[in-house]
Amino acid sequence: MSKPKVAFFDFTCCEGCQLDTLNIDGEALVELLDAVDIVEFREVMSDKAGDVDIAFVEGSITRESEIPRLKKIRERAKIVIALGACAHIGGINCLKNHLAMEDAQRIVYGEDAEKYDTIPTRPIGAVVPVDYVVPGCPINTAELLRTIKELLLGKTPELPNYPVCVECKMAGNICVFELGMTCLGPVTRAGCNAICVSAGRHCWGCRGLVDDPNLNAQKDVLEKYGLSVEEVLEKFKIYNTCTTEGIK
Amino acid sequence: MPEHSVLVVDDEPIVRESIRDWLTEAGYGVATAETGEQALEMVKTQDFSVLVVDLRLPGKTGLAVLEAIKAERPWIKSIVITAYPSSETAQEAKRLGAVDYLLKPFAPDDLERLIDDTLAAIPPEATVTTVEKAPAEAPVAEAIAVRETFAIDKKDLQSLYDGLAASAEVLGPKAKKGKFVFDRIKRFEELCLDYDVTVHPPANCLRPPHETLLTMKLGDVSAGEPVLDASPRVLFGVHPYDIKAIELLDEVFMTAHPDPHYITRRQNTVIIGVDCLHPSANSFASSMGTHQTETGFDLLLTDIGSAVMVTIGSERGAQLLAEYTGAREPTDYEIATQKTLRDAAVEDYKLHLDVARERLPKLLEDHYDDPYWEEKSENCLSCGSCIMVCPTCFCFDVKDEVSLDLKGAVRVRQWDGCMLSDFAKVAGGENFRHGKAARFRHRIFRKGKYVLERYGMVGCVGCGRCISACLPDIASPVEAFNAIAQRAKAESARRLISKVTPQPDLYAPQPAKLVRVEALAENEKVFEFRFDNGDSLGHRPGQFVEVSLAGIGEAPISISSSPTREGSFELAIRNVGNVTRALHALDEGAQVGVRGPFGNGFPIEALEWKDLLLVAGGIGLFPLRSLVQYVLDRRDRFGRVVLLCGSRSPKERMFTDELSEWKEDPGVEFHETVDGGDASWKGNVGVITTLIPGIDLSPAKTMAVVVGPPIMYRFVIGELKKKGLADEQIVMSLERRMKCGVGKCGHCQINGVYVCQEGPVFTLAQLRNLREAV
Repeated sequence: MSKPKVAFFDFTCCEGCQLDTLNIDGEALVELLDAVDIVEFREVMSDKAGDVDIAFVEGSITRESEIPRLKKIRERAKIVIALGACAHIGGINCLKNHLAMEDAQRIVYGEDAEKYDTIPTRPIGAVVPVDYVVPGCPINTAELLRTIKELLLGKTPELPNYPVCVECKMAGNICVFELGMTCLGPVTRAGCNAICVSAGRHCWGCRGLVDDPNLNAQKDVLEKYGLSVEEVLEKFKIYNTCTTEGIK
Repeated sequence: MPEHSVLVVDDEPIVRESIRDWLTEAGYGVATAETGEQALEMVKTQDFSVLVVDLRLPGKTGLAVLEAIKAERPWIKSIVITAYPSSETAQEAKRLGAVDYLLKPFAPDDLERLIDDTLAAIPPEATVTTVEKAPAEAPVAEAIAVRETFAIDKKDLQSLYDGLAASAEVLGPKAKKGKFVFDRIKRFEELCLDYDVTVHPPANCLRPPHETLLTMKLGDVSAGEPVLDASPRVLFGVHPYDIKAIELLDEVFMTAHPDPHYITRRQNTVIIGVDCLHPSANSFASSMGTHQTETGFDLLLTDIGSAVMVTIGSERGAQLLAEYTGAREPTDYEIATQKTLRDAAVEDYKLHLDVARERLPKLLEDHYDDPYWEEKSENCLSCGSCIMVCPTCFCFDVKDEVSLDLKGAVRVRQWDGCMLSDFAKVAGGENFRHGKAARFRHRIFRKGKYVLERYGMVGCVGCGRCISACLPDIASPVEAFNAIAQRAKAESARRLISKVTPQPDLYAPQPAKLVRVEALAENEKVFEFRFDNGDSLGHRPGQFVEVSLAGIGEAPISISSSPTREGSFELAIRNVGNVTRALHALDEGAQVGVRGPFGNGFPIEALEWKDLLLVAGGIGLFPLRSLVQYVLDRRDRFGRVVLLCGSRSPKERMFTDELSEWKEDPGVEFHETVDGGDASWKGNVGVITTLIPGIDLSPAKTMAVVVGPPIMYRFVIGELKKKGLADEQIVMSLERRMKCGVGKCGHCQINGVYVCQEGPVFTLAQLRNLREAV
């Protein structure tokens, strides 16, 4: 079997997920390069490839001009994988959607606002079909590697469909609610090993929601722990504007 | 005052503060600086062992700080952290004296380990340790025996700890962020034996969240190598309820298919228990009988203030006590104090089960369909927190993790559990426990019923951790148990004693007239009865009645005729006892009393549309005749009918006219045999099992119904199994002493089953679970 051709692309994002990919620990990175052919990766090389087996796409879609470019990538790739929160769920770029587009343009570009088009932020899955996802802000590189390995083995990559609480308990953490803080862990998809809580913070929901989140219960819980309805919605907004539009 | 202090230099507050928090918790003294300049000022006036420095700092860079430290304070060990690695800076940092390099983001453990290693490399004079040697000879060493209680001085705890820590990892309760965690104890002072509950249970040390079961090579299944963890551990300070939880895990993992991974860990673990004298507000251990324990530990401690009482639970515990402590006989005062403290602790429990533990399985069973499960689980987040903090949960998932070269793999197991939405989901997409309510109920049923029934130990030890962990406040088992008990109480209140309608004729027989009697054999007669009031008996084939004669008594008799033959019913009776002897003496026209019909009868619904193999041995024909008649009267509702009859001798053949009819009937494949023939007998000779091999059956669509003496069953079942029939396809009717017929007197019980109610007809599959049946 010849090595699969892999390419990395980016849209509106900080490129941190690609940076993290490059930061993969030395030995694993060498092994990764043994296993696949990286044919396009703007951050590190200038080559442009034709058709590819796997396209990793970072970033969300926030401008008209990005749509045809993404569609082209879809045509060239057998498998499209959303890399990171922006591509997966729109990510923090979605915060813009709470504003009128003209206001957003004006705030960012001031007098030059008219020179830059902008549209409400959407995840790449809202524009083209996406086969798999490596979620997170930034991604968990172990999960990226697992996804690649599973594809190489012919397995279907699957994300955990349970909340961060599971991994948080496995990590032996004290629940942040018990420490008087609040957290989106109970409705957020696991796979990060509760890295933020383990480091003394709380979950922001960057990996998106589990398949069947009980958002009403989560709202009740957040309110019980002292947040107002507005504050609860703010919590969800940061990463999950696009995924929680239904809740009010 | 912490021995070692660390200076953390990072301009990002979130990083700086996180590191400060982790290291403070780990027991280090920590100072922080925002800039290199500030850091260099601080090292001039304060003593630091370790410097943790970010490379990218505003102003003086990390490398410049390293350089200055190397020149001015060369004994300080430096660790570099950065989010922007490059081999050049790494080399430069090393040249400037950095001992190691850590990429951001990193886990607290990585940094802690690095600092530990760094400090370990510092020459010994820098760290002064005082290890007290345990007394060579313990005063009462020879007298130490399992289950005896001794007293030790409090300072002996330190020597016990030191002795154990010298050769094993010690884990125990310690304070963290205002709670207690069960974690690695690196210094005796960290150990906090007076605690209410740890956030996570010590059981996690025996069934960890992740563990590797096997290492494998891809494409070579046979090369799977088990991975066992035999590293010695001590769980120091385990509360009784957590000991009880470990005893349950022992039962699960060490009996029936003993689990090598659990057992290896268990056999290398010493358990030092400690009495829980200040229970947590969410604990209900006293209600679950787990607040104290006499088993499951090597040593059990009770802190009585002036001294520590120690109970020995194992040989190993006795050795430890003799080796590391000056154990002595306790005084009467000390024994009394221990009892007083334990009694007082029982009073401290805030939550209580309102019902006896033993009643839980039945209560839950009766409320399987209660709306409670739906109502209570409405707010469930399916987050799994309740099961992830539970000391008695042990379910897991197994998956493979592959190396990037796709050559090696490890098979790992990881906690999983019934509260997670995909736990019972199969590859095809079907979820066999769909919905929050079903999952919630399953968990509570496991805790109160299933685990108890399966392992003989209660599935919930009442630690209350799930209550603390559940954000919507629904997880509490004691609340669920009490709610169900409350509902049961309300139901029985509704069933007011004065409103119950008695069944006046429960024990009063109905008069029936003997309309015909006919001898079948030397000791057997068939009696035809008709109720005086013209009622029909209303029975199913295979049921029985109680027949009575005033002054003589009652006897259970199976009904020999089919309900399809209306107007009367027939009882074939062997003369064996007082009642049957008196019945045999009756003439036509006599009156008897009849109660019934009782029992379940043959499972007609399961027999319809199937091929039937009916086997009657001896007077087994009496009850089976009712089914044969029924089948013949509704012949179109059944497939093939094969009927086998066996008698001991030609003289003991009964219902001979009917046997002849059946032989002639084109709808019946009739085969008959006698155990021993005589001159008049022209048919088969041999026991009834000899008839079976010659019969060609379609096992998939055949039901066998077998009635005969107990000895016959074993051999017939053997032959039927050879024919490929499953246990569910073999139906039998059992004889038992049925006195009351209404499930009260208890004579007919097989284990927990009342034959007069759930029987007398059972499938072999049902009987497999009834040990008394065979």
